[in-house]
Amino acid sequence: MDTIKIDLNDPYYYQQWQKLIEEEGLYIENLDDITETIGIYDEDKLIATGSYFNNVLKYLAIDPKYQGGNVFNKLVSYLISDLASQNIFHVFVFTKTQYQSSFEYLGFKMVAQSRFSTLLETGDYSIDQYISELPKVSGNNISAIVMNANPFTLGHRYLVEEASKKSDVVYVFVVSQNASLFKTSERIELVKAGTKDLNNVVVVAGGDYMVSFVTFPSYFIKSRSDVVTYQTELDAQVFKRIAEALNITKRFVGEEPYSPTTEIYNQSLKKILIPEIVLEVLERKAVGGDIISATKVRQAISEDNLEVIRKYVPETTFDFIKTNLKDLLRRINNGN
Amino acid sequence: MERLRRTMMFVPGNNPAMIKDAGIYGADSIMFDLEDSVSLAEKDAARMLVFEALKNVDYGNSELVVRINGLDTDMGKADIYAMVKAGVEVIRLPKTETPDDVVETEKVIAEAEKFFGIENGRTHMMAAIESAEGVLNAPAIAKASDRLIGIALGAEDYVTNMKTHRYPDGAELSFARNMILHGARAAGIAAFDTVYSDVDNTEGFNHEVEIIHELGFDGKSVINPRQIPLVNAIYAPSEKEIRNAKAVLNAIEEAHKKGSGVISLHGKMVDKPVVARAERTMALAKASHLVDKEGNIYVE
Amino acid sequence: MEIKHTALAGTLESSDVQITLSEGKGISIDLDSQVEKQFGKQIKKVVTDLLAKYEISDVKVHVVDKGALDCTIKARLIAAIQRATDTQNEQNWGVLE
Repeated sequence: MDTIKIDLNDPYYYQQWQKLIEEEGLYIENLDDITETIGIYDEDKLIATGSYFNNVLKYLAIDPKYQGGNVFNKLVSYLISDLASQNIFHVFVFTKTQYQSSFEYLGFKMVAQSRFSTLLETGDYSIDQYISELPKVSGNNISAIVMNANPFTLGHRYLVEEASKKSDVVYVFVVSQNASLFKTSERIELVKAGTKDLNNVVVVAGGDYMVSFVTFPSYFIKSRSDVVTYQTELDAQVFKRIAEALNITKRFVGEEPYSPTTEIYNQSLKKILIPEIVLEVLERKAVGGDIISATKVRQAISEDNLEVIRKYVPETTFDFIKTNLKDLLRRINNGN
Repeated sequence: MERLRRTMMFVPGNNPAMIKDAGIYGADSIMFDLEDSVSLAEKDAARMLVFEALKNVDYGNSELVVRINGLDTDMGKADIYAMVKAGVEVIRLPKTETPDDVVETEKVIAEAEKFFGIENGRTHMMAAIESAEGVLNAPAIAKASDRLIGIALGAEDYVTNMKTHRYPDGAELSFARNMILHGARAAGIAAFDTVYSDVDNTEGFNHEVEIIHELGFDGKSVINPRQIPLVNAIYAPSEKEIRNAKAVLNAIEEAHKKGSGVISLHGKMVDKPVVARAERTMALAKASHLVDKEGNIYVE
Repeated sequence: MEIKHTALAGTLESSDVQITLSEGKGISIDLDSQVEKQFGKQIKKVVTDLLAKYEISDVKVHVVDKGALDCTIKARLIAAIQRATDTQNEQNWGVLE
């Protein structure tokens, strides 16, 4: 048996790959979300395949005749070694719950689990390490907000302020997302700067665990109408694990009347977090009847309109945008 | 007496399962490979795996050989040092083109022996010949070092170099096999034939082993344990050959008893090559379990 | 010796062991093995003995054992140490007796 890298842009390989993937009941999502694909061949027959995108394993499929043997170990091992050769050692896999033990057998550890799937990880970092590195606080009434803050607006500020009034301590988790206009490090700094006066607010990085749930791969979800529910429930489980470790008993979210996905997300959160953690939905802040949103800020940046930006963001964010306007415009023009 | 080398089993150097079990199939020689079967990213890991296996795993009576990476790579020198340190019996040079390749490698081996305080000359060598140039230089390569115990044909690269492929009749290898065999015999060392990669084709494999057995090769490289008994069966002497060999050896014993320096059998003088052949036949018969320790033929 | 960066050696195939070394405080060993009950102690001993020879006192070790011989565990750990210290082609002969 030979293990080789295969090029999905080559129709010869793509057809073999597609056949195996579909026979195994997997759904092909966006091919752009695949960094590398490998194939295991028995003579000329593709009998197993696996891919990865960044540090996430994907599209693992094995011909039924070869399942239950060493092929699965070979496949996962090859993918991990290949990532290691690029200095990527912390590896995730999202999989059907029924395959959880197969991955645990190979040293993976469960991060979170929902009725549709399990998220597992292996390597030189873990959710327990992430939790242990977070600042610990004491209080009876500890709450949390998870935000992308791309960038931090007066709307975010209102949310944090309200939570701050109603809690002993508030953790603000800033979601890691490389694709954002504002880099993760910039977003964290702007949240910190914009909440500096609130003594009971702790701003932390979401790291590898608080990520945008829309990036959760769903190639193994057969019923496509379940995808958003799967993504949001799993995300809620990850949050719950971290929150419980930090004694968080309440999560604040902003109301999103016009986003059906967010509505599903809030429902999933409510369902998963209760009874240990209460979800409180706060109404959105408006200025003169105009709802504040980060999308509007980014729009104004692209239009080079500082006056509009000033309406929506605190001074700290405004100063950053003003200083870095040229750079931000360049990022927008480069497709961010 | 020269040892039997009917089979030399290739074992990929980065595969612990195969390394662990390599000793149980009765191969006369085991060749751990650090070269072509190991990907570039795993060369360092394979080196340590073979190093530890050589030191810790019991491979019985099998001769232990390691194919190293050439000295023209980053790995060659480190491979030699590690294998010399581990006490390997034979270091196999890949892609030998000229006698100088052997001399250069020998220098590094001697250097390593000195560095580790190991007796000079303990580590033997063999050279794989895998190109037209190597084949034409085979006689000189075979005499390039006293450490050489044999030379081998590596046909995969050779046929590529010759702009051809492997064929069932072996005509494409005929010249190379004869050159290598003559080079080896002239130097008094062993000659090994190349691998046969279609593991499932027993008939084709047997045919090839018969060809090289008739030519006079010491043995064949094998890539799968299943090929070992097939080679051994073809190399097993016939009952008539064993009886002849026994008669020769008995005659020697007789002569010794009488204190006579001249050995004769059926009224003819027995000379040195005949004695050597008789010894080899008996060794093959023992290895094939056709005779007992005393040389008595098993009766079915 | 100091671990310069995370490194991995070995595979998850039968008879092999996958070892990941990363920076840590003190020595911590996380072992996954089907034979942990019978051989867990022995595997950890092989690891700690070799780390001591290399004078490595701060490292996180993740071992996923698939039924490897002791000498295979040693070989994979040596490879991982060499990779984590950027010394792949410079064997430490003082240690590798």
